[in-house]
Amino acid sequence: MRIFDPHIHMTSRTTDDYEAMFAAGVRAIVEPAFWLGQPRTTVGSFKDYFDALIGWERFRAAQFGIRHHCTIALNPKEANDPRCTPVLDILPRYLAKDGVVAVGEVGYDSMTPEEDDAFARQLAMAVEHELPALVHTPHRDKLAGTRRTLDVLKESGIAPEAVAVDHLNEVTVELVKDSGCWLGFSIYPDTKMDEDRMVAILKQFGTDKVLVNSAADWGRSDPLKTYKTARRMLEAGFTESDVDKVLWRNPVDFYGQSGRLVLDELPGFAPSAETFAGNSVLRGGRR
Amino acid sequence: MSFSLGYGTNGFANHRLDDALRMIADLGYTSVALTLDHHHLDPYAAGVSGETTRVAHLLSSLGLRCVVETGARYLLDPTRKHHPTLVSDDTDVRIDFLHRAIRIAADLGADCVSFWSGIKPSDVDDTTARRRMLDGVGKVLVEADRRQVRIGLEPEPGMFVQHLAQAIALRDELGKPELLGITLDVGHCVAVEPMDAAECVRHAAGLLVNVQLDDMRLGMHEHLEFGEGELDLPGTLAALAEVGYTGVAAVELPRHSHAAPDVARRAIEALTAALPVLPAEVEPVGDVDNPWLADAERRVRAEPTAIRALFPAVGRKVGREALRPDTDPQGLVHGTVDDLARQRLLAALAAVLPPTRLAEEVTELYRYGDDAERRGVLRGLASLPLSAVDAGLELVQDALRTNDIRLVAAALGPFAGEHLDQHSWRHGVLKCLFVGVPLAAVADTDRRADAELLRMVADYADERRAAGRAVPADAVSLLETS
Repeated sequence: MRIFDPHIHMTSRTTDDYEAMFAAGVRAIVEPAFWLGQPRTTVGSFKDYFDALIGWERFRAAQFGIRHHCTIALNPKEANDPRCTPVLDILPRYLAKDGVVAVGEVGYDSMTPEEDDAFARQLAMAVEHELPALVHTPHRDKLAGTRRTLDVLKESGIAPEAVAVDHLNEVTVELVKDSGCWLGFSIYPDTKMDEDRMVAILKQFGTDKVLVNSAADWGRSDPLKTYKTARRMLEAGFTESDVDKVLWRNPVDFYGQSGRLVLDELPGFAPSAETFAGNSVLRGGRR
Repeated sequence: MSFSLGYGTNGFANHRLDDALRMIADLGYTSVALTLDHHHLDPYAAGVSGETTRVAHLLSSLGLRCVVETGARYLLDPTRKHHPTLVSDDTDVRIDFLHRAIRIAADLGADCVSFWSGIKPSDVDDTTARRRMLDGVGKVLVEADRRQVRIGLEPEPGMFVQHLAQAIALRDELGKPELLGITLDVGHCVAVEPMDAAECVRHAAGLLVNVQLDDMRLGMHEHLEFGEGELDLPGTLAALAEVGYTGVAAVELPRHSHAAPDVARRAIEALTAALPVLPAEVEPVGDVDNPWLADAERRVRAEPTAIRALFPAVGRKVGREALRPDTDPQGLVHGTVDDLARQRLLAALAAVLPPTRLAEEVTELYRYGDDAERRGVLRGLASLPLSAVDAGLELVQDALRTNDIRLVAAALGPFAGEHLDQHSWRHGVLKCLFVGVPLAAVADTDRRADAELLRMVADYADERRAAGRAVPADAVSLLETS
């Protein structure tokens, strides 16, 4: 089983996670730029974060046989902080990078005028840089927020097939499916979606344009939720090909629109490799 | 090749400018030294601005870099050759001309404007001439600064400033302005300098903004075709490559216009035959010589800030393979195809930006770069002029603080070998052993490995053994061979 996690915040995860992910079949990931839990106070702080996403984290993932890509954006929560909004001016520089496969996460948190502005400007950047957009939907007031999101997307002129609307659930799935956008689902231990509900949605709405992610970050979350969902799909009678479509081909098709996905195997990682022998942890010397 | 071979339009004085430029490009030259003259982009003509734009487009379409030369004979005074000068009574005319030349150079995207002092009139004493020279160059620098165009003072036999040492002393006296460099005519070195042309090149290295190529005999200021005089052409070109000169080196044969097409053809044949054979490491790889890169280099020369969008796109356009995948699969030692392409873009940038802006732009490319771009900058540092050393060292230090082995490897190339302080260099080498960068990636280990480094490596080996771990082979061989 090969897995592409289209949304995971590896910056917050350990090397144990990387090892477990590789062992479970994860070979490619996309790390969207988002909030860090601790609010940022300067543009420099974003710059360092973006630099890590296009450099250090990409390198770290490669040490474990996993191809890392990212999306770059000012997230909706921090779009409300005037100390952070000037970051919008430096985004174009990052959107030109090899490892950047979409603009994101953009969208709404509290649906303020500031969020409107940042959302619209960044959708325009996505169009200009010919990149897809990864759109976060709010956790509070989700249905209204998702409706408003779809309205803004329509106004922006971005093609629906170039947009993934994320963190969907039973309440919002139909709305987004009708819009023509890709459908993102985050599988979490407690909140958002779980594996069984995901399988139910797949049964009802099919596998087309569905993206399943772990959205694992610094909170209580599980980087193996993609794998666990895949297992549950097989148990529920989906075929290997269905699983491959949802957990590999779909994210490849979506982010592949950037023209920047690099998915060939990393040197030194045979397809069947189950250990990481010979790989340096790069700290305190090689074993 | 690091520098660009060109031909001077003053050697095509009987040709229309457009014809001359086309012939120069057709013969295989990649640059031109454009002498502003009454029939070649006359700076006093009514439509000079439109003409400059037109010539700029022509140069760009022919793929020619350019430098502006100001040695026209009867442009300012139809009765007296080269008159007035920076040391004659009426220096204002010359200063105004040089200002015009600077504006034209800015509009052409030229590397620099070359100028000389002039012959000291018999009734002017040395003190007065020196003062006039300092004042005049000071005024020229004001316009140069405004337009961010470099100017090159050319020592010219028989003139007030005729030796390289005098030109450098004058620059020192002016406070070493960044935009004031040296134009060196290698034939002049043969004729009047106390050292040979190759030595002069090494001596002027970091200050060179323009080079003129011709042969000459000892003590005789007569521009000759290559082989007719005493110039060591291969040795001189090798010295230019050795000091990392990346500017224009153009043939200067102003008295051969009557036979220009043949003379220019013979010159490029002689130059091509005399060019140094570059070491394998810097030989262009087939994949890198692709049309996208050639076009990107042209765009950077025409509009330096274009590099900001081109630099990140390199991997997507030329590939990312290791240069020697068989022995160096990760490209840690020899780098990758995209590394090499980025080095080429940096060299193009260095050729057109004045020192301060170059240092800023290179720093920005690194700061905003992803890992691959940072690697490209680090590997390109060695080919930048000496004025970029301080900025380069900061980037090397930054890279050595990371744990990304590709950055660490790229940071310890020839630039660090040449310029990094000993303490940082030793820690860089030790870091390579720690993180698994082959020491083959480190330049100058033979020359720089000292007793303190060996002590550090020996202690590291002891620590490994105490922990029951293997000692890296590179550490063992370093300890054994030193």
